Amino acid sequence: MIGYAIRRTLYGLLVLFLITTFVFVVLRLIPGDVVRLQLADAPGVTQAQVDALAAELGLDQPVFTQFWSFISGAVTGDLGTSFETRLPVTEMIVERLPATLELGLLAIMFSVVLGVPLGIISAIRHNSFLDQSLRLVSVAGISVPNFWLALLLITYLSIWFGWSQPLVYAAPWENLGTNLAIMAIPALALGTSAMAAVSRMLRSSMLEVTQSNFVRTVRSRGAPERLVILKHAGRNSILPVFTLLGLQFGNILGGTVILESIFSIPGMGSLIFTSVQMRDYPVVLGCVIFYGAVFIFVNLLVDLVYAVIDPRIRYS
Amino acid sequence: MSIVQQSDADQARDAVSTDGSTPPPVARPPRRRALLRFAKQQPFGLAALILITCFVVMAALCPWLAPYDPLEQHRGSIMLPPSPEHLMGTDDLGRDVLSRTLYGARTSLLVAVFTMMLGGVVGILLGTVSGYFGGSWVDTIIQRVMDTLMAIPSIVLLLFVAALLGPSIRNTVIALSLLVVPQFNRVTRGEMLRIREETFVEAARAIGCSPWRILTRYGLPNLLAPLFVLGSLVFAGMMIAESALSFLGIGTPPPTPSWGRMLSEGSASLEIAPWIAFYPGLALSVSVLAFNLLGDAMRDFLDPKQHR
Amino acid sequence: MTLSATLDSRSQGQEQAPLLQVTDLVKHFPVGGGLLRKESPPVRAVDGVSFSLGRGETLGLVGESGSGKSTLGRLVLRLLDPTAGSVVFDGQDITTSRQSQVKPLRRRMQLIFQDPVSSFNPRMTIEELLLEPMVVHGIGTPTERKRRCVELLDQVGLASSALAKYPHQFSGGQAQRIGIARALTTDPELLVCDEAVSALDVSIQAQVLNLLKSIQQEQGISFLFIAHDLNVVRYISDRVCVMYLGKLAEVGGSDQIMAEPRHPYTQALIRSIPAVTASSSRVERIPLQGEIPNPSRPPAGCTFHTRCPLRFDACDQDVPTLHERDGSLVACHLYRPEASA
Repeated sequence: MIGYAIRRTLYGLLVLFLITTFVFVVLRLIPGDVVRLQLADAPGVTQAQVDALAAELGLDQPVFTQFWSFISGAVTGDLGTSFETRLPVTEMIVERLPATLELGLLAIMFSVVLGVPLGIISAIRHNSFLDQSLRLVSVAGISVPNFWLALLLITYLSIWFGWSQPLVYAAPWENLGTNLAIMAIPALALGTSAMAAVSRMLRSSMLEVTQSNFVRTVRSRGAPERLVILKHAGRNSILPVFTLLGLQFGNILGGTVILESIFSIPGMGSLIFTSVQMRDYPVVLGCVIFYGAVFIFVNLLVDLVYAVIDPRIRYS
Repeated sequence: MSIVQQSDADQARDAVSTDGSTPPPVARPPRRRALLRFAKQQPFGLAALILITCFVVMAALCPWLAPYDPLEQHRGSIMLPPSPEHLMGTDDLGRDVLSRTLYGARTSLLVAVFTMMLGGVVGILLGTVSGYFGGSWVDTIIQRVMDTLMAIPSIVLLLFVAALLGPSIRNTVIALSLLVVPQFNRVTRGEMLRIREETFVEAARAIGCSPWRILTRYGLPNLLAPLFVLGSLVFAGMMIAESALSFLGIGTPPPTPSWGRMLSEGSASLEIAPWIAFYPGLALSVSVLAFNLLGDAMRDFLDPKQHR
Repeated sequence: MTLSATLDSRSQGQEQAPLLQVTDLVKHFPVGGGLLRKESPPVRAVDGVSFSLGRGETLGLVGESGSGKSTLGRLVLRLLDPTAGSVVFDGQDITTSRQSQVKPLRRRMQLIFQDPVSSFNPRMTIEELLLEPMVVHGIGTPTERKRRCVELLDQVGLASSALAKYPHQFSGGQAQRIGIARALTTDPELLVCDEAVSALDVSIQAQVLNLLKSIQQEQGISFLFIAHDLNVVRYISDRVCVMYLGKLAEVGGSDQIMAEPRHPYTQALIRSIPAVTASSSRVERIPLQGEIPNPSRPPAGCTFHTRCPLRFDACDQDVPTLHERDGSLVACHLYRPEASA
């Protein structure tokens, strides 16, 4: 088990290193000089000024040296300095992280709180009219783009109920009410597809388990169907849902980019979006690596917990 | 004596398990009626097929179907609500939303089709190679690269690549392909590894089938079904991703009508003119829903066991 | 010598060479290995097996699961590449020849599977399944092939209406009949039956066994009959090989082995047959304990010594070899001929 944990962690680090290399190489492959692009707006820039700025940003070094210094910095938590703000990238990410984490966790909570009961109901009453409608609803939930759903919610909550969101963002520790009022709609929109995915997965894994031999044995002893599904099938069918949530976390992280831009939430998503537009490459690089790291970490955690929960899994 | 209630499937099996010389009279469904059988067994799938056909017709015939030029700006009629003249209203530049939505179907379809072609071919190729050489260094390298691509949240990867390449339909296709390749690779590789171990492949070898015959008669037919299912689901995902990119302003460049861009343009005037964002979003959602339903229906239909 | 006679072929008077000659066959499967993982010793599935099979003869191969009998069957058909040793089919060594050279031979040797349904491509009809071997080997014209399919189905006791159906529409016994029909399409000289009846109900087992027996009598096919059930093997076989952990423990005529088992393992196997227990009073009642050891770490000396009730010192160190004893061959130190040693 410990050997398995170590191997998985090392593999996660390897993938993270590959991500870094990929992003770094792609950034260096783009046509156009970063410095010139950045100075393009300012008139009358001399070659000496360009060179000075390039030297300051370390862009005059060979690519491999730049890569090496970036990697050695990244290991100690230093992801470089923003071209735009001249602040350390790590500091910018840490400042933006809480809002994104809050949004992501709210979305996950929403998806579990609604998705699990829906899936169970579907499984208990499977092939009934209710089940068929719920199935259709969950396919719809997966199909509706979250940004459109968010726009619909804003529009019709305002038109029909006269409810509109606070205009200025507040961190939860500043004003929890305002914060939640802002977070509610994006979290709902973001969690909808995960919710639908959870209920679908739970339904099908429950049906799979209920058709297995051990459940048939329980049934043959005369246990009521409800008990069979909740007590005996429940534990075994929740495991795939757990893995699914790990994977859905990636979608939710990605979704924050769009929703944070729509709702002007100062999180990682809006940070990477503005940085991409500004061509602030150190920040883009740092954000992509950070997103990758979070995703890898969450899935590592899921796998490890999975290994603890499911005694059948033997990782030699 | 027997307390255990037999399930329907068991009873069905028992009904034919009397090993007499006359097999039970079960008619073989003719292959050419597969579509008919699909329509009968999967009503949602049939509905999805109809919707997709409409969608394709819309995309193909939009110059004739659209009441107005999608780019024409009617100065006098800005942000008009839906009316007999403009069935879906007009946008902030006085353009007809219905016409733009019809043309948006074309953009959406083109991008998704090209992405599927590029990403699908590369992914299936890599997956076949990977599965064929399962466990060797070729497989290892391909899988590491795929793991890397899959470990970056898709929108972040898209944003990164599309922004670097610049907004154009071609670059959108390239960026989206990066999402498609790992998916097709994973499924193709898994299926190849699974099929390789099937007893019927060993039986084919025992009979004397050549590797080529095994690949074409045993590998591909058993591989195509999951790939069709995946293709349908991925197609839906690509339509969302394309509109997300356009929504963020780094996908399809203006003034080409694109559902994602129309949504972001409409989001500025949601409370005064909700129709600008509503209709393209509806068209997008329904199209995506159709492809997802089709994928689900095909999966249920193609599952040889067909339980549930 | 008598030794080679017993090992080689059923009828001493037979002049012609055996159809199949297996010599010192070895198959090791590598285990594990890779990043951060130690490579384990290989699984010794088949570890030095020799036997021969005459034309029209049925050789039974028995052993517990994990004894390597299925692997041996696959090696004989060159569905697996052996680690060492040779398989000679009708005078041709097929262990080293290329697959393209083996292909024409595949027409002459066929395999019957334990689970027939999984050995059929689920997307092919019975007709397509039966036609395929003939198509692959270019036998007959389309009309002849079609007629042959009907003939074969008739031979295995199925109506021609089965042709249009798919494999999953048949019961186990029916599917196995189709499996037999498929194996017969090319008029093979050797049939390897890998647990061909183990998955069937007892009554249907008997039907299928009778079918196989009558086919053999009509067509003079040689059978390599692999099974874990000694009763089944005795019924159909002329000679029986008992296999334990990749090695042959005992070889002999099937009646002789049933009546007078020599090897403690064979004795234990025969005792485990419920119906025979009463009549086998000659055999001491010593239960077989434990499970078959891990074939990647076989015990030293006689591989059976960990479970053998009659173990003595030599068993832990020396590997016993097959020796002739009253007409059968036994690999056990109890029967070691003192004089020749």
